[in-house]
Amino acid sequence: MTNPTINLRDLIILIADPSSYVRMISHSMLRGFGANKVLEVGQTTGLLQTLSSQKIDILLCDARLPPHGGLVITRTIRRNADNVNRTMPILLMSSDTRETTIRSARDAGANMVIAKPMSPKNLYDRLAWIAFSSRNFVDTPTYFGPDRRFKIEGYPGGVGRRKGDGVVEVGQEAGPALAQDDIDSLFSATRTG
Amino acid sequence: MAEQSNNSDPNVFPVDTRFQQLARRPGGVTRDAAIESAQRQIESMKTDFVNWLDRELQELATSVELLDLNRGDMAALDHAYQACCGLRDVGTTMGFELVTFVADNFCGILDAMKAGAPYDREMIDCHIDAFLLARTEPYCHMRPDQVPEMTRGLRRVVELASASAAREAK
Repeated sequence: MTNPTINLRDLIILIADPSSYVRMISHSMLRGFGANKVLEVGQTTGLLQTLSSQKIDILLCDARLPPHGGLVITRTIRRNADNVNRTMPILLMSSDTRETTIRSARDAGANMVIAKPMSPKNLYDRLAWIAFSSRNFVDTPTYFGPDRRFKIEGYPGGVGRRKGDGVVEVGQEAGPALAQDDIDSLFSATRTG
Repeated sequence: MAEQSNNSDPNVFPVDTRFQQLARRPGGVTRDAAIESAQRQIESMKTDFVNWLDRELQELATSVELLDLNRGDMAALDHAYQACCGLRDVGTTMGFELVTFVADNFCGILDAMKAGAPYDREMIDCHIDAFLLARTEPYCHMRPDQVPEMTRGLRRVVELASASAAREAK
């Protein structure tokens, strides 16, 4: 897939971040992409209230959204069988990009993690990836969310897979921060066949 | 809505969300045009960014002063940490890479203090000074690798703080 175009018009996008400036920047980027219905919240309480009162098409949520944190909120959204937003795409924004954190986000049910500080290019490509990648959902007693084992044919924007993407070793320690390409790999390559 | 599974076999089902359906519609802004438009939006915010940065640095300095008065004040520590995360999360996006670097480093110091490292005013002061440098010309347009002495020094400070926290944890 090369340079896909996404149409964000009339999609209801919710930004959840404690920093009003991050919300403003993210909002501006989305408007630049053509989005016209962007909502903002600064805490998990506001987020849960919004999710209970209306259908949201995609959530951009900070991983350290106070007071519970984005991972807990993601898990809560996915596990609530009565929530109409249970299967909505969740894009976690995180400045902590250590491998263990990225794996935790994936295991909580996030569709993707984007590294902070964000750039327009990184945000657009992650949104396009979510829009164009077909992923089943998995429902088990311990997990509800996008299938963590899936095969990707190619990244939006012409970004290719790296040679070593076939097998991912699980690290014991938190380890160093990962680059966005490495984060993408952790969301993509467990099933290679 | 999928039923909750009652056995160990995973229930796997396709989901095509409204986001996916609508985002694939024809008529969207092309990728290059969308990114360029978003970048223009960010450029238009840059004139106010330095004012915002100054306010945030002032708030950070106030939190640090509170922390200095009461070194076990977790609320002041959290407040400083949140302010620092805010600076870290936007600096590079707004073209101030050094601000993000210094903020990330300072978050490391505050993390270490949360983990038990003793309060060290000199470690904090050198980061506040680094912030002031990183917001002024010509440093505000530089990358961390262009000021290696500063980045090495700040990284060393974080290493010392982390080592101190690890010793306290034993």
